[in-house]
Amino acid sequence: MDTYLQFVILGLGLGAVYVALGNGLVLVYRATGIINFAQGAMAMWGAYVFAQLRLDGSLVLPVGRIQLGAGPTSVAVSLVVALLTAVALGLLAHYLVFRPVRHAPALAQVVVSVALMLSLQALVVIRFGPNNISVESIIEPGSIDLFGVTVSSRELKMVGVMLVLSVLVWAYFRFTRAGVATRAAAENERGATLRGFSPDRLAALALVMANVVGTVGVILASSLTGLNPSNYTLLVVPALAVLLVARMESIGTVFVASLALGAFQSVINLLVLKPWWPTWAQSGIEQVVPFLVVVVILFAFGSRLPSRGSLQTIPLPDVHIPRLRPVAGTVVLAVTVVLLVVTRDAYRFGLTYSIILTLVALSYVVITGYLGQISLAQTAFAGAAGFTLSKVTTDWDMPFLLAVLLCSVVAALLGMIVALPAFRIRGAQLAIVTIAASLAIERFVFNNYSLTPPSGNPIADPHLFGMNLAVREGATLSRLSFSLMVLVVVTLVIVAFVRLASGDTGRAFLAVRANERAAASVGIDVRQTKLIGFGVSAFIAGLAGCLIGYSAGQLSAESFSVFVGLQILAVTYLGGITSWGGAAVAGVIGPLGIIYVLFHDLFEMGDYYALVSGLALILTAILNPVGIAGATRSQIDWVRRRIGGGRSPAARESAGAAADDAPIDLREVSDVH
Amino acid sequence: MSTDAPMGAHGGLRAERLTVRYGGVTANADVDLDVRPGEIVGLIGPNGAGKTTFVDAVTGFTRSEGSVTLDGERIDALRPHERRRRGLSRTWQSGELFGNLTVRENVAVATRPGGVGTLFRDIFWPRRRSDGSVDRALSLVGLGDEADRLARDLSLGQQKLVGVARALVGTCKLLLLDEPAAGLDSAESLEFATRLRTIVREQGAGALLIDHDMSLVLGVCDRVFVLEFGKLIFSGTPDEARTDQAVVAAYLGVPMENADA
Ligand SMILES: Nc1ncnc2c1ncn2[C@@H]1O[C@H](COP(=O)(O)OP(=O)(O)O)[C@@H](O)[C@H]1O
Ligand SMILES: [Mg+2]
Repeated sequence: MDTYLQFVILGLGLGAVYVALGNGLVLVYRATGIINFAQGAMAMWGAYVFAQLRLDGSLVLPVGRIQLGAGPTSVAVSLVVALLTAVALGLLAHYLVFRPVRHAPALAQVVVSVALMLSLQALVVIRFGPNNISVESIIEPGSIDLFGVTVSSRELKMVGVMLVLSVLVWAYFRFTRAGVATRAAAENERGATLRGFSPDRLAALALVMANVVGTVGVILASSLTGLNPSNYTLLVVPALAVLLVARMESIGTVFVASLALGAFQSVINLLVLKPWWPTWAQSGIEQVVPFLVVVVILFAFGSRLPSRGSLQTIPLPDVHIPRLRPVAGTVVLAVTVVLLVVTRDAYRFGLTYSIILTLVALSYVVITGYLGQISLAQTAFAGAAGFTLSKVTTDWDMPFLLAVLLCSVVAALLGMIVALPAFRIRGAQLAIVTIAASLAIERFVFNNYSLTPPSGNPIADPHLFGMNLAVREGATLSRLSFSLMVLVVVTLVIVAFVRLASGDTGRAFLAVRANERAAASVGIDVRQTKLIGFGVSAFIAGLAGCLIGYSAGQLSAESFSVFVGLQILAVTYLGGITSWGGAAVAGVIGPLGIIYVLFHDLFEMGDYYALVSGLALILTAILNPVGIAGATRSQIDWVRRRIGGGRSPAARESAGAAADDAPIDLREVSDVH
Repeated sequence: MSTDAPMGAHGGLRAERLTVRYGGVTANADVDLDVRPGEIVGLIGPNGAGKTTFVDAVTGFTRSEGSVTLDGERIDALRPHERRRRGLSRTWQSGELFGNLTVRENVAVATRPGGVGTLFRDIFWPRRRSDGSVDRALSLVGLGDEADRLARDLSLGQQKLVGVARALVGTCKLLLLDEPAAGLDSAESLEFATRLRTIVREQGAGALLIDHDMSLVLGVCDRVFVLEFGKLIFSGTPDEARTDQAVVAAYLGVPMENADA
């Protein structure tokens, strides 16, 4: 029993961070209606500033640094400077990032905050380095007696600090005129204006307070864990779970639920060491808990969750019904083949990887662009397929094509399970559930040494009809036959996608995306449509996962991490989330793709890749929601209009034309392939 | 058209003791209403009387007590799309089109609403062209020329007509029309009434018409129901409605006698 109590207390330290981030999430949500996925990353910046000041007295800015003293700065000065940094960051985030998207669709808001998170994380890597740094504690370590058990006092003091801050935030909402006006603004913006406050100022204030509270939490906790660029960024996920539990509004619930979650996760870590606990379930279980909590809460209360900013019919970018153009398609294919033939090693591999990434991006196009569901779990689906591939090719010797199909079906089934919460919720809340699912799968499966040994899960090389399709052989790092196999698979999937998107299925997807109850009133089974959408999109992601696995010869967890998933979502949004052309652009600029390789090799700026793509994403989400592909299309339309003058270049082809022409084109193309 | 014995055994739609509560508000209280095939029935009442709620309840978009039968079959446990597929179609007071689809696609989606079979057919055996029912429905409501425009570019009046066309295609045994003529001027309204007659005659479907335009409702309907504060206060022929004390009181200020002059 004593040990349990000690672990509960230890868990409160983690819980205190959740309290800090959860307070911030509530503040920002109530003031802006935006769910701030960057809450952890923003708080982490201030904590890094603090740690660096305590280390050598230099104040690190995004560009340049200021030396505040010869040696380490005192705790008080460091704390003040770090919190001032947090204030500045909150203001910057508000005016540069969140304010421009305050009336944008939920998807743009999710994308913007995810982009901010990726950018900050990348900036931390560039400015402070990728490795864990240890941080000296502000609170003296010590121990006290609790019910006759000696427990660490530091965690209890952290909880005390967070209790004070939570009470302050609660009092802000309850008693100050600004806080009351913020609550009114959550109902409608006029409510706040009527009370003499500009909703914009209130939002700026909320972001500043959120970031200060969050930064305090991370500074305190970083002395327990050290700081590294990814751990505190992702700590936002359990905090998001807490946000849902607190119905997006209750500070009291945030406080209690955060501590409970922290304590529970800590105790779980004790339980898994018991002999009766199955070995395969030892690691990552603490991440499964927040996910399960969220799912249970949603099923119990889902329909009653407040849904500001997510229930309005979301004006996502328009969709241009695709058609297969045999000539243009053949030209693109031929150019790609030539490029693959003339390149070698790293460049050919980068190109091939770009083609594979197109598939992952296409899975986002299906689920988000067409069906309007925000899923952040696509790489988890891909990873699940890759994981299965390793098992079936090495343990069972399953042949290439069959194995790929089977593994993609496994991914599709997983996708349909993750679709279940989408029956109840939409928009940003679904994004929370799917990122929680993704993290749970990553930690529970891919980082689980009893399922995935440190040496990796080897994947047998693909062979078909006596052809060796392996990616490597001897000194050749990137074989042409592998690249061509990838190209064939991806081309077939794109053809299938175009048929689906221009057919009845695509139209039903778009109807659900536009208006769910209207969709039900014309006979569409909305739930089944979502299952199909998640299934198809996870199937496509699964195919990509298999190809990624073959390209590495083994399953590596890093290829399928939550961050990679977010990065691919970022580039897909950048490319254009409503078309396969956008997916292709995403493939080209995506992580490990050809542009990435060029960044690394030609400019030696690999670290800047993540930063540049994050910032570009923020800009895209604010300025141009149709992405590069959509923007290019409007340029082409403009040129056509000037030259041809004849046909009206409407935003989309006329449906009649699509219905009548497309299948004819499709026939011709199916002959080509 | 027959005017009495509304509760006899027959096809069409029948709602019995339908009750809907929203928190403390009883939006429909024990409503008994039936619509027979080939018949146009009016449902009128002041704003907030519960007309839309009745349509929502019958089509499964809101939780209700009581029973709903279509052609003698209980449907009140079915989900909305299942009721639609059995032929219970509705339109929405606010249009609720798929704004980013064209008018034709808005209607076509109701003829082929997707599914697992459709998915595989789309991929492996794409369909060549539609069967013409979509264009027929569009010309029935007089929007044949607008088929290729984006739905959100139409006027609200036109959008509601697209909603009617969307409700007509596929299996349609019974049409529930929630203020379909609200965006039309009186000449267009008259034209709509004529079209509605044609539709009901040609399709052999029944229709429930909700509208504020008394001349439209009393002129085109065979029978009329009047709701007030969620309760039915009248059912009978348009002629009886014009002289009924309770109905006149509910519409205080609306000169019923002149309504269809
Ligand atoms: N979704 C809902 N939630 C709560 N109350 C509702 C809802 N829909 C309608 N109501 C209430 O039910 C009553 C009937 O509304 P409604 O059916 O829209 O009337 P009508 O269509 O006759 O104008 C009104 O008092 C309205 O406020
Ligand atoms: Mg109404």
